Amino acid sequence: MATLLEVKDLRTEFHTQDGVVHAVNGVSFAVDEGETLGLVGESGCGKSVSVLSVMRLIPIPPGKIAGGQVLFQGRDLLAVDDEEIRSVRGNKIAMVFQDPMTSLNPVLTIGTQISEALELHLGMTKEQARKRSVELLKMVGIPEAENRLDDYPHQFSGGMRQRVMIAMALSCSPQLLIADEPTTALDVTIQAQIVDIVKRLKRELGMAVIWITHDLGVIAGLADRINVMYAGFVIESASNKEIFANPVHPYTLGLLGSIPRLDEAHKAKLTPIEGLPPDLIEMPKGCPFYDRCRFRAERCASENPPLELAGVRHWVACWNWQDVQKKRGPVGVR
Amino acid sequence: MAAFVIRRLVWLPILLFFVSVITFALGLYGPGDPVQVMLGMHANPETIERLRHEYGFDQPFYIQYLNYVANALQGNFGYSLVKYRDQPVGVLIAEKLPATIQLNLVAILLGCAIGVPLGLVAGLKRDTWLDLVVRGIVVAGISFPIIFLNPVLTFIFSRRHEFTLAATNFTFSIGPFLPMVQGHWDGLFSPKIILPAFIESLGVIAVLTRQMRAGMIEVLSEDYIRTARAKGLRERVVVVRHAMRNALIPIATILGLMLGGLVAGSFLVENWFDVPGVGQLAFDALISRDYYVIMALTLLIAVAYILANLFVDVLYGFLDPRIRQS
Amino acid sequence: MQLAGRIARNPPALLGALVILMVALMAIFAPALAPYAYDQQNLNAARQAPSPAHWLGTDDLGRDMLSRVIWGARSAVFVIVMVTIIDLALGLPLGAAAGYWGGWVDTLIMRVVDVLFAFPGLLFVFLVAATLKPGILNWAKAIGLNDLVRSGYLDYAVVIIALGGVGWGGLARMVRGQVLMLKEREFVIGARALGVPTWRVIARHILPNAITPIIVALSMGMGDIALSEGYLSFLGIGLQPPAPSWGNILADNAGRYWRTFPQMIWLVFIPGLVLAAVVFAFNFFGDGLNEALNPEIE
Repeated sequence: MATLLEVKDLRTEFHTQDGVVHAVNGVSFAVDEGETLGLVGESGCGKSVSVLSVMRLIPIPPGKIAGGQVLFQGRDLLAVDDEEIRSVRGNKIAMVFQDPMTSLNPVLTIGTQISEALELHLGMTKEQARKRSVELLKMVGIPEAENRLDDYPHQFSGGMRQRVMIAMALSCSPQLLIADEPTTALDVTIQAQIVDIVKRLKRELGMAVIWITHDLGVIAGLADRINVMYAGFVIESASNKEIFANPVHPYTLGLLGSIPRLDEAHKAKLTPIEGLPPDLIEMPKGCPFYDRCRFRAERCASENPPLELAGVRHWVACWNWQDVQKKRGPVGVR
Repeated sequence: MAAFVIRRLVWLPILLFFVSVITFALGLYGPGDPVQVMLGMHANPETIERLRHEYGFDQPFYIQYLNYVANALQGNFGYSLVKYRDQPVGVLIAEKLPATIQLNLVAILLGCAIGVPLGLVAGLKRDTWLDLVVRGIVVAGISFPIIFLNPVLTFIFSRRHEFTLAATNFTFSIGPFLPMVQGHWDGLFSPKIILPAFIESLGVIAVLTRQMRAGMIEVLSEDYIRTARAKGLRERVVVVRHAMRNALIPIATILGLMLGGLVAGSFLVENWFDVPGVGQLAFDALISRDYYVIMALTLLIAVAYILANLFVDVLYGFLDPRIRQS
Repeated sequence: MQLAGRIARNPPALLGALVILMVALMAIFAPALAPYAYDQQNLNAARQAPSPAHWLGTDDLGRDMLSRVIWGARSAVFVIVMVTIIDLALGLPLGAAAGYWGGWVDTLIMRVVDVLFAFPGLLFVFLVAATLKPGILNWAKAIGLNDLVRSGYLDYAVVIIALGGVGWGGLARMVRGQVLMLKEREFVIGARALGVPTWRVIARHILPNAITPIIVALSMGMGDIALSEGYLSFLGIGLQPPAPSWGNILADNAGRYWRTFPQMIWLVFIPGLVLAAVVFAFNFFGDGLNEALNPEIE
């Protein structure tokens, strides 16, 4: 399949009073048409900032996209003018955000908020946009959609609002949907519903998806490919199956150890990763995971490992990945 | 929402009761005997006694209060005792009210017309030199006392200034830019209103600018603004449709609360600029202890203030759907 | 100290702090700093422009403006401190009680505050001061304190009582809000569960956590108090000449002969500017304090 989005060596930083925060430090990844990419990592690892940089939604200042390219259908979104990036946003690339309680404008009806993009990008009249809005709301499973168009966001529950957000994002049939932890703020049962809706719509509409989460469990049934991020770096990248079957970065191992497993035969303890991510203002010279790593060696303190091939389309940024693979013990296949 | 308004309306008469009792007590026990005020220091004690009885000032407090309320409810607020001797207070106030309303109307309009755009721009261009200038204006507007602005701005704008260049012996003069009232008030459309209204509006400008700036900064950092931008909307649409509407809501409340400050300012401005309004009336009454005038004006202003705030709360509900439906 | 450092890095706040410090020093050392007595008249030297003998010139009774402005600082600071004490003494316990106990205590206290707020702005202060004054003077005369009446010190009492009596409502509202929020927090519930006496829960566990907004509100309020004192004295219902107050200096100079001697505008300018500077200073300082104490805001 053709490549839809290709991010090359993206660097984003924030200039604050306390110093420069290096949020994204040379991230590269690609998404094919119709593919689902999972971006996984702890909060503050740069996964949201990366995709916001793709959309150029980083507040500038204090933010600054310091380098890299974002090639979408061949053109560099970081180089185009404001007019052009706006014609992409909400149209070709759409986004769903984490907190549905705050992501909708409280003083505008949801009808207005969905219609906006339709009128703007597809040149629809008010009537057409309204009709289409109803269809979209039905598509995401909002009952009595016709009657709810003139309601305000506070009249919806959290899960319903997230459905509205999805309807809004899908309004112009985007080729890429970016979902930034869309289920984190929701109850577990609602989470599953939202995941199902996105899965179904992705199949129906054939769009590509970038799904950001800190929870490998959410993404397991969803993603084709998974990128694990840490301290603004992609530290392991592989297909969904490969990540779970053959993780070779100590951090990924740690993440897998901290998801509850229902199919675990023996009573394994959940093992959270000890320690804290490094200070993004004063980045360590060596591997950013050094302080917390069980497998660290001398070299790791002084040199930051580049991504290298560890299998079929499987990349890892670790000097000792082979050692890790040997010592890690069996990893259950899901 | 309806329940809220009703609750406020029920509270209104109770509030009015307390306000009137406090004012009445202050008026009655504070300045000494109204009859004393009326007759001066050297009156005959017998005359005082006779008048006290005639006016009912020898009766217990609650009877006097009830009498006052009963009369007030019939539109009789007593008579001026000093400057406008024997004129009914109601008529006096009705005579003086238009000038005050005109003055404050212009002040509020000026305040909104200048303050809201200034705050908007400062909020959008945060931390630029423009923002710095606007913040300077705000602090100046809050800090300069009206008693300072009155003479100084009058000096600057209503006087003829002559400058002589020492070397050439060449003299040029500018001004006066704005006419003074000086005994003759021409109402809303006269240039005489500009200077007093501008001085009054400075406080409004400062408060509105500050609120609007803070509101814009807060709203612009909201998630729903990011959502709007993610839709590809033009920045102008994001600002006008998504940000401004939310930032304007608190402005309505502030305006209601501002009315109080305006009335106090009106007091000093009207006196200085010789505007024949209730502010000047209140000023005279306060200085000369014109008891019934003080009473009636305090009540009037308190009622206006309470009603304005009620109106603002209802307006607030109308503007903010979250409150409207709860 | 981190707080001092944060304020020092904020130029307006630093400027505000310096002005406040200067005014405080002026107030404390007024007798030593002022070249003349504040009420020393010299009709031969009336209405003089600034000169080495009178740095800020003289007024129409020949009183030295610099001396009067310096002594005015003492009046202003005294009023500010006393009114703040009254605000704290009333607003803190009443606000805390309303927030902590709720119910009828809350209703009663907050309705009183509502009534205070029903009178707009300074109007109530004017009214209270204007009506209180003759009452207090008569009462002092009646119990034979004629010297006190003549001294003019009772004017200070009138101003302080009027401003303090009316001003505590805002603080009470704020403290109530803070207490309402804090009393649901775990450490307070914990302290109560351990049987810590109520007054101790409020004093040791709740109020220290509400100290930031209280300090900021007080700092901002001090500018308003200075301004109100100026207005009252300007109107002749506050401090009376010859007692020095920036407000009555302004009134004297603006009222008495400004219209006849417009070139003497500086006599109006100086006390007005000093008063404005103090209000400026407290606003800047309060803003800076707010930012320094709540770094997440900016």
